[in-house]
Amino acid sequence: MTITETSQIGIAILSLNGTLDALSAPDFRNNRSVIDPEKSVVIDMENLDFIDSSGIGAIVGASRQKRQPVGGIILSCMNDRVRKVFEITNAQKLFHIFDDTIAAVDFAATRQSARA
Amino acid sequence: MSSIITLTLPGDILFARLASQTASSIARLLADDQQTETESCVFAHAFELAVTEAFTNSVTHAPENATSAMVTVTFLFEQPHLTVSISDANEPFTIETPAPDIESFPENGFGLLIIRKLMDRVIYRRDGEWNILSMSKSL
Amino acid sequence: MKTILAFREEEYAWVHEAFPCIHPLLLPLCNKPFIEFLIDFAIIADSSSLRLLCDGGFDAVERYCENGSRWGIDLSYGSIHPDDTIHAMLGKNRKFCGEERIMIISGFSFIRYDKRLNYKSLANTMAAGEWATCPGGRITLSGMPGKTPAHWVDAPLSLMPLDGMASYYRASMEALESGADRYVLPGYGDEPGCAFGRNVVISKSVEIRKPVSIGNNVQLLADTVIGPSAIIGSNVIIDRKSSVESSIVFDNTYIGEHLKINGRIASGNRLNDPKSGASIAMEDPHLLSGIKKKGVLRSFPRKFTHAVAALVMIAVLFIPFVILRSLLKLRGQWKSARTDFLSEATGMTMSLGKVELSTASSLTSIAAALSMDRYGWLFRVLTGQLALIGSKPLPAEKNRLEITRSALSYRPGVFSYAEAEEWPSSDGDATGGDAAIVERFHIAHSTPLSDISLIIKAFVNRFQEKSIL
Repeated sequence: MTITETSQIGIAILSLNGTLDALSAPDFRNNRSVIDPEKSVVIDMENLDFIDSSGIGAIVGASRQKRQPVGGIILSCMNDRVRKVFEITNAQKLFHIFDDTIAAVDFAATRQSARA
Repeated sequence: MSSIITLTLPGDILFARLASQTASSIARLLADDQQTETESCVFAHAFELAVTEAFTNSVTHAPENATSAMVTVTFLFEQPHLTVSISDANEPFTIETPAPDIESFPENGFGLLIIRKLMDRVIYRRDGEWNILSMSKSL
Repeated sequence: MKTILAFREEEYAWVHEAFPCIHPLLLPLCNKPFIEFLIDFAIIADSSSLRLLCDGGFDAVERYCENGSRWGIDLSYGSIHPDDTIHAMLGKNRKFCGEERIMIISGFSFIRYDKRLNYKSLANTMAAGEWATCPGGRITLSGMPGKTPAHWVDAPLSLMPLDGMASYYRASMEALESGADRYVLPGYGDEPGCAFGRNVVISKSVEIRKPVSIGNNVQLLADTVIGPSAIIGSNVIIDRKSSVESSIVFDNTYIGEHLKINGRIASGNRLNDPKSGASIAMEDPHLLSGIKKKGVLRSFPRKFTHAVAALVMIAVLFIPFVILRSLLKLRGQWKSARTDFLSEATGMTMSLGKVELSTASSLTSIAAALSMDRYGWLFRVLTGQLALIGSKPLPAEKNRLEITRSALSYRPGVFSYAEAEEWPSSDGDATGGDAAIVERFHIAHSTPLSDISLIIKAFVNRFQEKSIL
């Protein structure tokens, strides 16, 4: 899996490409923006082909570390296969899920300014 | 028609993808001429995911410094069921684990839940030193 | 135009309680899943794409609707949070919405529409905002309206909340009565108010009073009266001389003989009264009767008759037993060992001698035919440890100690009911299989008298079976 990180109006956007599983989950977990409890992160999953429970666990664990567990990590553009895994584990309840990355960034920015 | 394919892999997480993609390909192969495109994708994904989960469990629960540990993945197709068995020589376990409470942001414990939800039948048995987890689903 | 359907779990939580086997969005209204009414309406209002949003799981719905190709539309899925506003929903689905006009149908409510009317121009030209509302549900339009057409026709539209069994019942009946004029309803039939599915078997003497809607694979047996206002799902059997009026019978339900169902909802083995919400269990005496452990006093007559019968058998078989046993012992064909078996009391075991009649010879077959191998067990009937007839004793293995706790109907006996009914004995797993069902049925329904006849049957069956050898 590759992680491409960009930033927009103070929000980190992580684009995941490939497979998020037990092998690649540590890369995600150790990402600086993911670890930072103050940082809002949008995860762009457009090119994420496959996720398993380790991947779900990594994302859930990351959002627990955020100051605002629901809202610190925002997901966007997941395909049906990935969505299915979120649904089976019920993890979709913990996230705001967008079908558009820019909309997700806008949402994160409004939340951040509301907090500040 | 019934056929058996066996894969014996080193118990290393590096090989999880190999096992799961093999599972996905086999499932796809069987489903393609009997199901619609969407159905066969769902069928293949179910096996890809279930095998990933089972293989990852086998590897992560292997005793420390068990470098020589092997995991065997067996595929058995008996129309219309595809059964995948994952065997390892770890400590015995149980598949009757409750689903984790999502509100507490759990990081693990989803594996068996996923397997149970995706497969039609999941059977665990202990055979001597071996754990055998059999998962099957009908076309 | 595109449509968003949005639901929150709490809106339909009552369905989970009332009809636990059905996903609320697939709840049948006049034999058509709820969600399909909304899909139909979206199509009538000229939507090409539909997105279903929910804050809970909708796996079953997804499996049913798939990608919408069945209706010729694009159907996709997404998730929301319980407190998301319409604005938040639009944001979360920005890519889906694009620049198009969007109709948002939210809440678990029934839309009253008429498929013959033109909702297309209304949906496209009305100002953005609320179109219709009811407590807990609304239809909202968003995005720039199109130009008002030359002849503007009003098409009435209203919502009815589905907030409990009573409103669900009302909506179903309304759909049935307005019939296929207003809604697209399943089934065939050449006259209005009468829709039948495939493979419906109607006996000669059945009376059908309109309006009715009947699903697939339904059997209406002799002298049943169906309707008026009966909605019968698929895979239903209505047994002889029963009537179904102003009622809903769910899929896979069996309505027994001589029953009058009026103003009720029958699902599985439950019969609900939509007005009061009360429900009772319909019991099938053969399969579903409550199996209760009988008290000491109630079991006394049974124990007494069993002991008397055992005493008779001991006396009658005494001479053959002494002769045969000594002969067989001399020839080394009589081997006995003691094994632990589960006793009737939960978690307890008892030790019983088990006789193996090795190698077939004329003598052993006579012994087996006379059930000599069970002779020793007869004395346990006198002490009350065994019944004369009951379940096949289960060997006490560690993992089986729990069984008697879960299976209330285990009463070890010298002979088993399965033997009396000539069911193939299931040596491997006596807790499952057909033989076990037979045993459970008899244990639940036995009386001392019927026991005696079954004991004789079991003895005779063994006699015939073994003497063939």
